[in-house]
Order: sequence, then C-alpha cells, then structure tokens
Amino acid sequence: MFLERYSLYLRAGLVMIAGLLLGLFTTVLSLNAGYGFNALEAGPWTAWPSVGVPDSDPYARAVIARTGETPLGRDQGLVFTASTDSSGAPLDGACDYTLEDPTPPARFWTLGIVSTKGSLFANPTGRFGYSSADILRHEGGGFNINVSRNMQTGNWLSPGEAHQFSFILRLYDTPLDVDTQPKADRFPKITKLNCA
Amino acid sequence: MMIPDRLLNFLPWALATLMIAVMVHLVSVLLMPALAPKDAYARLASYAKTVGINEGVVALPPITPGAEILPFEDASFVEAACIYDLSRRPYHVTASAEGEDFFGLSFHASGGRIYHAITDRSAIKGKFDIILGNTRQMEAIENASDGAAPLQEVRITAPTSRGFVMLRVLAKRGSDQARIREQLKSVKCENFDLPKN
Repeated sequence: MFLERYSLYLRAGLVMIAGLLLGLFTTVLSLNAGYGFNALEAGPWTAWPSVGVPDSDPYARAVIARTGETPLGRDQGLVFTASTDSSGAPLDGACDYTLEDPTPPARFWTLGIVSTKGSLFANPTGRFGYSSADILRHEGGGFNINVSRNMQTGNWLSPGEAHQFSFILRLYDTPLDVDTQPKADRFPKITKLNCA
Repeated sequence: MMIPDRLLNFLPWALATLMIAVMVHLVSVLLMPALAPKDAYARLASYAKTVGINEGVVALPPITPGAEILPFEDASFVEAACIYDLSRRPYHVTASAEGEDFFGLSFHASGGRIYHAITDRSAIKGKFDIILGNTRQMEAIENASDGAAPLQEVRITAPTSRGFVMLRVLAKRGSDQARIREQLKSVKCENFDLPKN
C-alpha cells in the first residue's frame, strides 16, 4: 500500500541514482581511454598532439588534471607511447624484448621505459632511457635496445618486477606532420624474444 | 500484447536515466580540471613548500624512481618550475639558453593544460624574456609602451591568474646534468609592478 503510493517517487529516485552512476562510469572509462581525440598511431606507438595545444579538448584537459602530468607543448615535441609490441601483443614484464631503429626525424629524441602510471622502474644502473646522443650505435648509425629484467650488455632497459609497462618515445623539435597518420616503419620496431 | 506495453512503460524511465547520465558525464568531465586534487599545480605547490623557492624558481629534483614530482616526465631532463599568481601584479620570467641544449618553456594554467610553449630556438640572442599577465595587465603594459622601442620581451596573456611555468633542459648525457642544474640557477621569476601612466 505504502509502496504503491510512492512508487513513482521511488522510480524517479532509482533513475537519478542509475543516471549518476552511469554518468560517472562513462567519465572514468573515457578518461582511462587516452587523451581525448585525434590520436596519432604508428604501429604500436600512439601520440596525442592535441594535449599540447592551447585549445585542447575538455577530455584532454580532464585527463591531464586527473593524472597530474604536464604535457609537452606541440611546438616543443611529440610524445609517443607503446604498450604493445609490433605484433600487437601487450607488453609483459616476464618477457624479453628488443627495440630497433629507425626513429622519426627530430632534433633530439629519448626512448625510455615507464610504468602505466608514468613512474620509473628502479634498476641497478640507474638507466631509465636513452637519448639520441648517448645511445650506443652499430656501425652505420642503427641501434637496438635490449629490454629484460636481467642485466644485458649494450643498451639495456629493465621493467623491474612490473608486469605491465610502456615504452615512451619523445621527439623534441620534430618536423613530423600531425595532420596525417605517420608510417609505422619510421618508428622503432618492438619485437618479443622469449618469455620466462 | 503484454510485452510492448511494459516496454512502453519502461521507455520514459530509461530515457530519463540516459539523459541524467549524459549530463553527469559532461559536467564531471568539464569540472575535472577545477576539482582534481592532485593536478600538476597542486603537486608543484606542495613540493615548493618542502624545498623553498629561490628567485621565484623551484628546482625539481633529478627524476628517479619513487621521487617523481610529476608523472610521465623525461628522466633525461633537468627541470624547474615557476609558480605564479597574477591576481595583483604581472609576472616576469628571464632565463638564458646557452649552448646547444634543448631548452623548453611551457606555460600551464592551474589545471595543468598548456596555453603557450617555446623552445631555445625562439630565444632572442640566447635569452628568454617573458612577461605574463592577465588581459587587464597586458593592456596596461601595451598602453605604457606605446610607440616605444621595439619589443625586448615576449608578452603572453594568461587565461587564469594562477598557473605555472615549466622549464625543461635536456641533458643529452648523464654527465651534463650537474652543469645544466647550475645553469638553471640563473633563471629568475618574479612579480613586478605595472608601469604608472
């Protein structure tokens, strides 16, 4: 009797709560999905040039405010991250990988390894990345980086004990055109070797 | 026809739920920059409290595991930040970009979004000389310097009265870090009085 009398109010209340939850849920989903719109993709590498411009979209602004990061200006450079290897399989801390040249044109670049939250992995050499100036190169200018939990010779990066990680390629003063999708074969190739 | 009837009864409630969800979604995304508790501005401001500010500049520590002030920063860089408040007076940033190092300055509103960025390539004779102000302050500065000598400084209108400037210098080799840290000590950030008409 009582319930029937107030069923409309109950329903309206339920609708409001459901709407609130659904709205917050889609916000969390959309903010975890990247930095808004207009991603640049090249094989496993993704960049979000629109975070570095003054008229960035509301989603990019919301993501930046939530994570606390300070994006690079579009005129300063572009940041590409990869969380899969070149075949599309997610990067796994238990596996060894190799990263091979080329890199897109830029005045300088750095190539490093970070957690999915953007922090560094502790390792005995204190190496978190290489720059275009200090990486060891083969004869002819090419390079490769060995990625493994176990110490390696040559250029070596370690994900520590983490299971998930990303590679991060930063191009400073790059002439790369952000209006067209770049070609994957101009970006470092990420190959999975063996898994523990 | 029992089922269509029940569906029809259910439809307005489903639509109402959806509409509320869309509104909540839009409002929460738009409010995020204003409400996020750990945005870059808050992180820098709380770090500045612990180490103090020298000539308006907060030198950020080397980027090492567990000691990152901001996420996703490049560990090859030496960084500093200037946290400003334009509510009373405009702001002046000077720095010198010596040598071949990549030196980037980016200007961020309090939520972290970028509204201006330059690199050493646009430094004038190896110097950055930048004036930041809100619209009213910039107008006053424009008026005061009307017809005067050509501009010595870059003038930038800030969208919010609180914000920060990130200064980043690339240390191409690890051994360059100490030298660049020293070089960044010459950066000056300070509020100044508007010219009197």
